[in-house]
Amino acid sequence: MIVRAYPIFDMKEIRLKKGHDIVLAGRPEKRLVNAGQPARLKIRPADFRGIKPKLMVKEGDHVKTGSPVFYSKTSPGMFVTAPGSGRIIRIAIGERRAVEEIVIDLDRTESFEKFERFNEQSVASLSSGRIKEQLLRSGLWPVIRQRPFSSVADPEKLPKAVFVPAMSTAPFAPDTDFVLDQDATGFQMGLSILKRLSGSPVHLVAGKNTSSKVLAGAKDVVQHCFSGPHPAGNVGIHIHHIAPIRNRDDIVWYVSLQDVLRIGRLFLRGRFPVEKIVTVGGESLEKRQYVKIRQGMMLEDILWDNRFERNARLISGDVLTGLKSSPEDPLGFYHEIISVIPEKTGRDFMGWIKPGLHKYSVTNLFLSRLRSNRGSRLDTGMNGSPRVIIPFGNIESVLPMNILPTFLIKMTLARDIDEMEKLGIYECDPEDFALCSFVDASKMEIAEIIREGLEYVEENG
Amino acid sequence: MKALRKFLDGVEPHFSEGGKWSRLAPLYEMVDTIFFVPGTVTSTAPHLRDAIDIKRSMFTVIVALMPALIFGIYNTGYQVSPDAGFLQNMLTGGIAIVPLILVSYIVGGLWELLFAVVRKHEVNEGFLVTGLLLPMTLPPDIPLWMVALGISFGVVIGKEVTGGTGYNVFNPALVARAFIFFAYPGEMSGDPVWSLADDLTAATPLAAASSVQGADAVALVSGAGYSIWDMFLGLIPGSVGGTSTLAILSGAVVLIATRIANWRIMAGGVGGMVAAALLANALAPASQNTMLSLSPLHHFVMGGFAFGIVFMATDPVSAAQTDQGRWIYGFLIGVLCVMIRVLNQAFVEGIMLSILLGNAFAPMIDYFVLRQNIAKRQRAYAKQ
Repeated sequence: MIVRAYPIFDMKEIRLKKGHDIVLAGRPEKRLVNAGQPARLKIRPADFRGIKPKLMVKEGDHVKTGSPVFYSKTSPGMFVTAPGSGRIIRIAIGERRAVEEIVIDLDRTESFEKFERFNEQSVASLSSGRIKEQLLRSGLWPVIRQRPFSSVADPEKLPKAVFVPAMSTAPFAPDTDFVLDQDATGFQMGLSILKRLSGSPVHLVAGKNTSSKVLAGAKDVVQHCFSGPHPAGNVGIHIHHIAPIRNRDDIVWYVSLQDVLRIGRLFLRGRFPVEKIVTVGGESLEKRQYVKIRQGMMLEDILWDNRFERNARLISGDVLTGLKSSPEDPLGFYHEIISVIPEKTGRDFMGWIKPGLHKYSVTNLFLSRLRSNRGSRLDTGMNGSPRVIIPFGNIESVLPMNILPTFLIKMTLARDIDEMEKLGIYECDPEDFALCSFVDASKMEIAEIIREGLEYVEENG
Repeated sequence: MKALRKFLDGVEPHFSEGGKWSRLAPLYEMVDTIFFVPGTVTSTAPHLRDAIDIKRSMFTVIVALMPALIFGIYNTGYQVSPDAGFLQNMLTGGIAIVPLILVSYIVGGLWELLFAVVRKHEVNEGFLVTGLLLPMTLPPDIPLWMVALGISFGVVIGKEVTGGTGYNVFNPALVARAFIFFAYPGEMSGDPVWSLADDLTAATPLAAASSVQGADAVALVSGAGYSIWDMFLGLIPGSVGGTSTLAILSGAVVLIATRIANWRIMAGGVGGMVAAALLANALAPASQNTMLSLSPLHHFVMGGFAFGIVFMATDPVSAAQTDQGRWIYGFLIGVLCVMIRVLNQAFVEGIMLSILLGNAFAPMIDYFVLRQNIAKRQRAYAKQ
């Protein structure tokens, strides 16, 4: 890690070397279309990690945009609210009576739950408690998540810092400058609100190549600049290098850039903000572009004028961390990307012995490396059989953290909480280990191992 | 190809759960995936995966071993009759060495398979490397039954009793070699019988260096007809794969370029060897032990040092598994190798024992690197 002065923002640039930017066909073009008004919206309680839902509506009820749909059993003041006005036509209950989906049939004309409006001046005198109350009641609070464990922030525990990552490096992620160029309303207001709410520093992390004046001119924040291949844009990496998490009670909040805009807009307009800009991309998709959508839209509605190959995998989120989905599934609450990639078919004959001019690899084991993987194609194939850990050093080469992943994985598999804590499990998140799963020669599900390990320490630590 | 796929798919039900040969599922998995890359798709994020797998990784090690193996075959023939010509020498060498490799693969493979079936896990490709490494460290005229016994010991005691591939403390090929070395010392290094031809005996350079007490080791080596250049090229008696430093270095280039072996171990090893050899040189005038006067270059090209540090010490499982740890581990092996060679002339070939010792120390080295890492993180916590 080299730290040097960066002329434009006059700040230290944290340069990371480890990692990998996946070269993936089907990058979204910078062209924004509007997805229009869908007929239905869905809410999926499983999106909200840390909220145990208690329903407040039943089938047939009418809700307005911003009306509460369920609250959190552990934090009764925290609501999740409807992203549109209409009638609840279905509540899908799964195993052990878990609420899987709430479907809203939208009205022709939208009606809104009203919240108090503020302007730049009046917001400056708001108390932390008043901000918290408005965020909780409006259902926008869940956009604030906390580390460790990446669950919805606990309103009772203030964080030591708030992070706003503004430089996603994930495959197909929306470009920060492009999003802010469309409409930056609420950005400064959102940042100021987060500052007042938390009473802690708000760290705004931008990429090296940003030219956004909105970012450069942001106030009430501490600005940072990171560069390097993915996962340099992941918030977990930023936290690790700026305000590392010491233990399970050392809380950091993080909010995505577009959710900062939404927080600002809630206070500016007094309405629950439902719009966001997402990207749709991937080799198997006809039009790769930016789409303005409404929260809770189903994938098929977002891809309404878009054709995709029959044998393709729809992913809500990016290819490294997203959720395999069907067209009727809603886009995940925190997701800003839809990836559509080809499913693997057939089996390569003696693939391990061939020169591999068209095999995609981060390693130097195939000839494709001489062409930097151009001409290689990636699909959903595992490309090998699961084996035990053989520490070649691949996974270390894509994790830009001062953490020893091989040992952390071993201790996690052994469920040795004491060692996991010492090796930094609280600083970890599955999304930061996704590339480790990607490059592992033993085909271990490293991100899943970390996820299970975190769940284990959360329960038993 | 299609017919083969059809056949494999046809017999697959017999080997899967409930089939009549379901116990032999690892055998099916092995054969099936040798011919075809598994068609499984990702079930969870990340949805894409790199093309690397263990088969490819181990195959790369095999590729890296090829120059040394091919040279070893040629050299074996060459040692019998230097003037016979290239083809004749390859033939003579091949007749001697191919059986060694076959026995090693077949006997070791059967053990692997047996354990895979009993323990219900897949056959691990790491054996492809172990099974080739062992014969390459043996003299070409070793009896086949010794190879069979050695590889059995290496696979069972060196690997399977501690849990199989990935859990082994020691490099299994070296365990096998150490077993043969200590069980049948007469057939192994140190003795002058290293050639196929019965009437022709030749000492290895290391044996020559320590052959006469009190005589100058450097002079003894050159007196036996070995110049540094000879030993670098490798047309000298020695183990199958270990004589040509040149061929070994070309394998090292493959391993380092593909990052299958960690260059830090090799660099640390050479560094440790040079440091220890220079120290020995400095002490040489004050001692009767003339082995002390062997230069770092001698140590580098003599015996199995290069082969060991490139192919044996770098086994990722039995080596240290942290980057700083790999430096220390390599350095330790280099130092120990020179110490054993110079100070204990009962074991002139020090590299085998020094790597086994390095293997034994590797977990401890990693332990200290881990504590360092934890301490560093604690400091970062305190600083914010």
